[in-house]
Amino acid sequence: MNPIPALRFVVGVALQNIVRNRGIAFASLLTVTLTLLGAGAAVAVVSALDGVLHQEETQASVLKVFMADHVSFASILNLQYSLSSEPSVLNATFENKDQAAKQAASGLGLGNALKILQQTGGGNPLPASINLHLRNIGAVSAINNQVSTSPLLYPGPHPTDYNKDVIPRLERYIFAAQLGGAIMVAVVGAVALVIITISVRTAAFVRRQEIEIMKLVGATDWFVRWPFLIEGVIVGVLSAVLASAVLVGIGLAFGSGGNLALGIGLRFAALVVLGLIVGGAVLGSFGSFVGIRRSLAT
Amino acid sequence: MSISTSPAPPRTATQATGNGPPVRHDPPIIVFETVSKTYANGVPAVQDVSFTVRPRDFVFVVGASGAGKSTIIRLLIREETASKGHVIVEGQDLARIRHRHLPRLRRKMGIVFQDFKLLPNLTVAQNVAFAIQVTDPGRSHLKEKVGEALYIVGLEDKLNNFPTELSGGEQQRVAIARALIHRPRIFLADEPTGNLDPDAGWGIVQLLLQINHRGATVVMATHNREVVDLSKRRVLAMEGGRLIRDEQEGQYLKEGEAIL
Repeated sequence: MNPIPALRFVVGVALQNIVRNRGIAFASLLTVTLTLLGAGAAVAVVSALDGVLHQEETQASVLKVFMADHVSFASILNLQYSLSSEPSVLNATFENKDQAAKQAASGLGLGNALKILQQTGGGNPLPASINLHLRNIGAVSAINNQVSTSPLLYPGPHPTDYNKDVIPRLERYIFAAQLGGAIMVAVVGAVALVIITISVRTAAFVRRQEIEIMKLVGATDWFVRWPFLIEGVIVGVLSAVLASAVLVGIGLAFGSGGNLALGIGLRFAALVVLGLIVGGAVLGSFGSFVGIRRSLAT
Repeated sequence: MSISTSPAPPRTATQATGNGPPVRHDPPIIVFETVSKTYANGVPAVQDVSFTVRPRDFVFVVGASGAGKSTIIRLLIREETASKGHVIVEGQDLARIRHRHLPRLRRKMGIVFQDFKLLPNLTVAQNVAFAIQVTDPGRSHLKEKVGEALYIVGLEDKLNNFPTELSGGEQQRVAIARALIHRPRIFLADEPTGNLDPDAGWGIVQLLLQINHRGATVVMATHNREVVDLSKRRVLAMEGGRLIRDEQEGQYLKEGEAIL
């Protein structure tokens, strides 16, 4: 079979179907647009929420590794170097005893207590530390376990410090947000799939005589199926384009500083648009495939 | 009912020369081997039917409504599969043909039905061309092939008419032209005269006889007594799903048989 005339024929039939069943096609376009709009909005909101939570996570993903006073600077540098080469470690900074005292004085309001200690000959009791910023909140406890066994660590009861309460809570929130988003996208996708399937099934019913004749004169199942697949893809992609236009329009209207609304960057928005278009095409073709299956049974 | 008759074409090419009975060495093109078909509702449509059809034969399958005639046609185009026995077409057991190979089988067959199955929004020429467009869209000389098929059925001047502008007989001729476009070796007709007046029905039978004369094997299911009796071709008589009679130059009814 020559592919060019075949393609011309099936695309022609697909467009003819859309025009001939424009009522059904329009209803299907509208509902799929609305569902994809829901999916896109869900992705945007979950992404914004995810961004906020990750910001919190970054702040919470700090592990302080306190160093024993007798440890040489070279040993500390060695440990800092080995920790910073861990894949889960974003960066490792050294904080000496004076910096720790300054931090305690300003951040924790312990200035007076430290001054009294120094005046009475007690010196600076705060240990130097290597402060690790980790990429992922889940890695904090693993790195903590790994480093806790080092003989270079401060000998007290808490040789390391991290925010033990916040981390599991944040992990739960992030998981809930991602799961909620995934469920919403899946539900919305399933709805779009059902709509396209019903629409194609209706189109196949309207064209049942044509399909019957095609099969009787020896058309292959794929030849019968192609126009419906193309029709589904056209509806899916058009719906995605419409949904994207609405989402980007709203994003631009409420955005600022080079970002769309909810602080969503243009690059991410482009990815969402691409995802919607690919998703629309996949939903359209799969919905059509399912929709036409019954008509090809005999 | 009266039919304005004109002589039917000779039965085979050999007979046409008038040199005596035909010598038939060809293997059968259609074989029914103890075929039974029971539908999902438990009704047996065809029971233990066996017969063979040789290339270039013209066979009427006759019987009252519900006798199993249409089931025979549906089994031949593999719209149904036999519950028991074998249906063999051109050496292929239809039960063993994969679903994806059915189109190839159906392109070897021309099929027409009582209800014509024409697409009302296409012209006569487009309806005929449709059979090629959906099977071999790139085929060259489409116009010529359509013109030739319509010439055979005598509708070369109706190219641009829509089916609704034609009589029933003409619509059936368009369906025949569409079925002819693949130059089928087997031509199946399921009650092709059922919706037609006697004259138009006889015209269709004459056309099928011509197609047979051109070399195609024709199997026609009908309950039209007059065309069967006038044609003097082989008759397979069905009753209650069983083959009760197989006669060369048969009649619709055997002597003494009553119409059911």
